[in-house]
Amino acid sequence: MLFLKKGFVIWMSLLLFMGIIAGCSSSTTSKSKSDDGKVKLRMVESITSPARTKLLREMLDKFEKENPKIKVELISPPLKSADEKISQMLMAKEDIDVLEVREQTVKNFSNNKFIEDLSPYTTKWNDWNTLTETIKHGATAVDNKPYYIPYGVYEKTLFYRKDWFEEAGLKAPETWDELVDDAIKLTDPKKNRYGYSFRGGAGSPDYIEFMTWSYLGKKIAPKDAYFTTDGNVMFDTPEAKQVLDTFVNLYKKASPPDSVSWSYPEMVQGFTSGMTAMLIQDPEVIVTADQNMKKGTWATAPLPKGTPSGVAQQPAGTAGWGIGAFSKHKAEAWKLVAFLSSPEQNLYFAKNNSLIPIHLSAGDDPYFKEGYFSSYIKMNAKPDEFLIADRPVEYKGYAEYRSMAEKDIQALLLGKLTKEDALAKWTDFWKKEKANKK
Amino acid sequence: MKTQIQQYEAQRGLPTFSVSKHGLFIFLCLLPAIVLVSIFIYYPLFKGVVMAFQNYSLFDLTDIKFIGLENFKAVLAEDTFKESLGNSFYWVFFSLIPQLLIGFIVALLLRRKFRGRGIYQAFIFFPWAMSGFLIGLIWRWMLNGQAGVINDLLLRMHIIDNAIPFLADPTWSMVSVIVANVWYGITFFAIMILAALQSIPDELYEAAKMDGANYRQQLFSITIPYILPTLIVTTLLRVIWILNFPDLIYSLTNGGPAGSTHILSTYMLEKLIMGQNYGQAAAVGVILILLLLFFSIFYLMATKFNKAGDF
Repeated sequence: MLFLKKGFVIWMSLLLFMGIIAGCSSSTTSKSKSDDGKVKLRMVESITSPARTKLLREMLDKFEKENPKIKVELISPPLKSADEKISQMLMAKEDIDVLEVREQTVKNFSNNKFIEDLSPYTTKWNDWNTLTETIKHGATAVDNKPYYIPYGVYEKTLFYRKDWFEEAGLKAPETWDELVDDAIKLTDPKKNRYGYSFRGGAGSPDYIEFMTWSYLGKKIAPKDAYFTTDGNVMFDTPEAKQVLDTFVNLYKKASPPDSVSWSYPEMVQGFTSGMTAMLIQDPEVIVTADQNMKKGTWATAPLPKGTPSGVAQQPAGTAGWGIGAFSKHKAEAWKLVAFLSSPEQNLYFAKNNSLIPIHLSAGDDPYFKEGYFSSYIKMNAKPDEFLIADRPVEYKGYAEYRSMAEKDIQALLLGKLTKEDALAKWTDFWKKEKANKK
Repeated sequence: MKTQIQQYEAQRGLPTFSVSKHGLFIFLCLLPAIVLVSIFIYYPLFKGVVMAFQNYSLFDLTDIKFIGLENFKAVLAEDTFKESLGNSFYWVFFSLIPQLLIGFIVALLLRRKFRGRGIYQAFIFFPWAMSGFLIGLIWRWMLNGQAGVINDLLLRMHIIDNAIPFLADPTWSMVSVIVANVWYGITFFAIMILAALQSIPDELYEAAKMDGANYRQQLFSITIPYILPTLIVTTLLRVIWILNFPDLIYSLTNGGPAGSTHILSTYMLEKLIMGQNYGQAAAVGVILILLLLFFSIFYLMATKFNKAGDF
């Protein structure tokens, strides 16, 4: 009896053991050419959202119809960890064909040779010539070579409650000083109304960044945006002190006290639920606001200008499609990227995803010329009043700075850190970064 | 049957790679578990410890070399690290004690049969089925300073006059994460202690009643000593799990405001995700492991725990 049982158990152990070995083998052994001779492309997105995944799948189906020999598998990791997932897949040398590349990750990916230099393809691509300057600038940010084709621009604009402003006899603010004044006037805690959706939580350094850039304007060094044209760290200037004054004032006098820990979801929710009068955010909010708020109660306006400089300045965040270096079907992958980046397809994507399209022809489309997107068109039409600067992604410590600044900003708002100490700390940090730069 | 088992027992005492047929059989049975544990636990552990001595940063993976104790020096010099170390102790201590006490009371209450006990048990045990991340998110919205449920209830009951911005204040944030953690952890203690309670023979209680013992005396003379091994082991496990539990804090406060709710494991996550510095994150991880190792050794020695496997 026992002998039989033993034999059975040995068999089961061996089977289980084989199963583990098989299961642990890398997934690159999966076939990318299925039996009927079709090429299977694997595409990974990172700024995932259910609505966008549906939209992408729709466009990919269209691509598959036009290219019957190619099938596309779309992989959509959840938003919060998507970039890490992509990094891990690339570190494991998985044969991803098309992937979402962002201006924050392009330097990483190109340094580590994870993505292809697309110049051999773009030199033969007609649609390259109709891209806007901002897009070409974003695409070639690393070594002047195109490592990805952006699908749109993420620029911030001002969202405001038109009805509250009209009620109070105010018009949309054009400078930061006006914004703070208007916000204070519209704040009424008893009615649970506040002037501004403040971002004190995750992502707050972005706001200090573009506020400082706006206040310093053209004094910011073009290719080294955290330093001025004189070579000083941008935090080591009187304008930076003004920025922090405005920043802290805005929090203390015109924002919900809770907002010291607010990040994207709470900011947007604050605006769309009628708690705050103003919000500075990306164009994706347009769709959310349109769905949740009554027409006519809100509108968009260009980004407020810095008071001393008279200009506004922000990063033109781009994200787009690149080709994985370990892809086994680079020609087909390029076909997909070119398809998604063509004027008609990109216009469709931008409209449904609330982004600014990449080709010059889009400015003629009424959807973008009028309505909620008009603030972007206005900003793009006056490039010397609304400047673009580049985030310093070529500095190794940029990620560390943002992590540190997030905590410092909260300490500043809670009164645990003085403005002078914060500026001194950040100045020291960037001085060291400059010295260590290879 | 008995003699064969005795043979097994005797031969189990032999060194593992003896060439007896029973040795081989036992080895093969253990093999899948050894392989799984090696791949998923020991290999990453080893790799992580190695990484703690390298300048492994996602910024430039082509430039990785050994840098000795640099990562440790950098981490130990940071204020946030020292704060997170202190926070970790608060977090563990103030989460553990309420969980243990309330869990124990809940287990005592659930011991007797009453109508609806099954449904009640299901409700009590429900939090354990949820992911820590989800719990953090839910509590985050409940504690929202303007629109949160908790503020709404407190205002309606006239306990407070103005809404409290829980997550904007360092102290309230710490209290909030601890409360959420206690809510989550009561379940574990309730389940484990209930199981232990149900193994206490009723005769002991009957004998005690006949001797005139009241409820309090029964509790302290019979119940607690009997389940003490269970309590010791569950407490040790809980301390290790609580210290290693970043999910809830990560989604509730993300270590904020101003890093005041960071514990070692969330601090490690921040270094990984925001700072993209795997080397320093690994250094924090190594420190965490050493801390827990020393704690476990000390704890087991102090509780003279030599009856492993008894629960």
